[in-house]
Amino acid sequence: MDALNIRGLVKKYGDFEAVAGLDFSVREGEIFALVGPNGVGKSTTLKMISTILTPTAGSISVFGLDTVAAAHAVRSVISYLPEEAGAYKNLTGREYLDFMAMVFLRDKSRAAEAVAYGAGLSGLGARLDDKIKTYSKGMARKLLLARAVMIKPRLAILDEPTSGLDIVNGYEIRKTIKDLAAGGMTFLISSHNMAEIEFLSGRIGVINKGRLLACDTPAALKSQFGTEDLEEVFVRLTQ
Amino acid sequence: MNIFMVLLRKEIKELLTRQLLFSIAAMILVFYVIGKSVGSHSRASGASNSIVVMDLDRSELSARLLAAMGGGKTPLKPSAFTDIESAMSAPEHSGESSFLVIPAGLARSVEEGRPSRLEFYSRFRKRASGLGAAMAASRIRKVSSLAAAEASSYALERKAPGLPPSFLRDPAPAVEFVVVDGRTEQVPLAQVVGFMQSQSYFFPIAVFFIVILSAQMIMTAIATEKENKTLETLLSSPLDRRMLVVSKLTAAAIIAAGLSGAYLLGMRSFMSGITAAAEGATAAAAGPALAKLGLVITTQGYLLIGLSVLVCILCSLSLAFILGMLAEDVKSIQAMLVPLMMPLMLSYLMPIFIDLSTAGWGIKGLLYAIPFTHAFLAPRAVMTGDIASVVWGIIYQAAVFAVFVTLAARLFSGDALLTLRLRLPGTRRKAAAQ
Repeated sequence: MDALNIRGLVKKYGDFEAVAGLDFSVREGEIFALVGPNGVGKSTTLKMISTILTPTAGSISVFGLDTVAAAHAVRSVISYLPEEAGAYKNLTGREYLDFMAMVFLRDKSRAAEAVAYGAGLSGLGARLDDKIKTYSKGMARKLLLARAVMIKPRLAILDEPTSGLDIVNGYEIRKTIKDLAAGGMTFLISSHNMAEIEFLSGRIGVINKGRLLACDTPAALKSQFGTEDLEEVFVRLTQ
Repeated sequence: MNIFMVLLRKEIKELLTRQLLFSIAAMILVFYVIGKSVGSHSRASGASNSIVVMDLDRSELSARLLAAMGGGKTPLKPSAFTDIESAMSAPEHSGESSFLVIPAGLARSVEEGRPSRLEFYSRFRKRASGLGAAMAASRIRKVSSLAAAEASSYALERKAPGLPPSFLRDPAPAVEFVVVDGRTEQVPLAQVVGFMQSQSYFFPIAVFFIVILSAQMIMTAIATEKENKTLETLLSSPLDRRMLVVSKLTAAAIIAAGLSGAYLLGMRSFMSGITAAAEGATAAAAGPALAKLGLVITTQGYLLIGLSVLVCILCSLSLAFILGMLAEDVKSIQAMLVPLMMPLMLSYLMPIFIDLSTAGWGIKGLLYAIPFTHAFLAPRAVMTGDIASVVWGIIYQAAVFAVFVTLAARLFSGDALLTLRLRLPGTRRKAAAQ
């Protein structure tokens, strides 16, 4: 079964068509990257998959569950990390993980288990007991990624997971994603960093103006365009 | 732990910041300091601002006038100067603002039935602020009235011996009665009005502050969640979205209830300072009569008022919740408060100037349609025994609250939360979605 199946997806804001008929699917255990210039509908697509926005037309199914008709059930199998998301600054890192674990799992013992796992993943150690407002951007992002995956979702949707991070923090987050995917978790990632995409993803979907322009493995795309540079593929597709 | 309690605890932790606690403590302190300062300043200025008296007549009448005037609370300072210019420019009187000249020959003029006069001079400082000038005017009015009564007695004793001057001056004195719901008490209307006003202006100010503060709090909380995108995370969770709405409202209501207590405490200090200096004594004198007229608030009355205020706060919170959802970002909160401030100001200010019982249907309809009006009017209604109107007000406010909460929950469940923006003049334009 596909982890994600999107057919004829359209999203309109008044007269503006943010997503204009997308079709693609993501296999279970795969890391799929959605790439494209700014403002072409990547975040809107991720929000529709996360059940935060409803499609104007078309359908999305997550592990066979429709995101409109079975939105509540979909929310139980996904975890979404928005681009440049923040956390509750007056909570400590641990309190934030506690809170989110309870919100997603609703069971004290499962939540405690998830928090222990998330605390380890975050790599924040004793700083987890400090208030989030004292964290650097990298620390906050690692906490948020830990939050997103600690509940072991079947599909993790990450919008620009390493945006604005330094090399070390970016590397650690990419490594975590790769390790989790090896353990069977499915990832749908949006990113502008082509090196990151190439390192992480099994397949790439390139979109522009709300439409899918290409969808294949990085190697296949490079071969198709006769280049060794994935960025060149991206530029030639989107210009 | 119950998921609602988990949400509530997080909301309270996010709302109850050190900055908020500090600003509340500072506000209470400001009220307290103003109240105490006004009270002590008024008492101090009352003691120092005496009246300098130049008795140029030195007669039995002038002695009686001084005794009568000195019998009040205003201290009199005798002066040896014989003309007002010298007295006012003398260094020893440089701090004085009120002067009285009793002219030579006053007693003889009164005895012979010729008109004479007492001359009061007031030094008015253009740059002076505060209540000093008004209090000096009140002092002179009181003292001149005592002097006029004594001069009148002196003239009557000589022209109509055998009859008491008080009888001749007012052979049929007026007595005021106030009737409330068939109960009659001998008490001046001015005292009843003074007491009612002192009770009903203190309360709405406190409610006004609480409503604005709690509304601002919840709007900021929602706009911050939107801006930080923590809301998107919550919306993608398996939580019932209505629970998110209710937990936010409950947390804000709990904090608002705590703040109301703090504000009332501060305002009580503030008002007690002001009223002690101004009309507290008058109101206190009317106390027993007011109690007999039923114009006091019982414990049940206070509970009813509290309930009215609670639903008023809930109404404002739910409206603020919707406005917060429509706000572009945290910076636009100030502008987004306008749709809440306008009805709030109307319902607070208009009943102060307009008698709603005799107002036209248009004004009545407008004011009673605003849910906050019912909370502002509750103390007066309870005091006058109009319990039915308070109860109907509470029911109406609860209905408005239910409508707002339903609307908020609907907005929270759809795309509107992330895509709808209410743009008021001056707010920044921003793309609805990326």
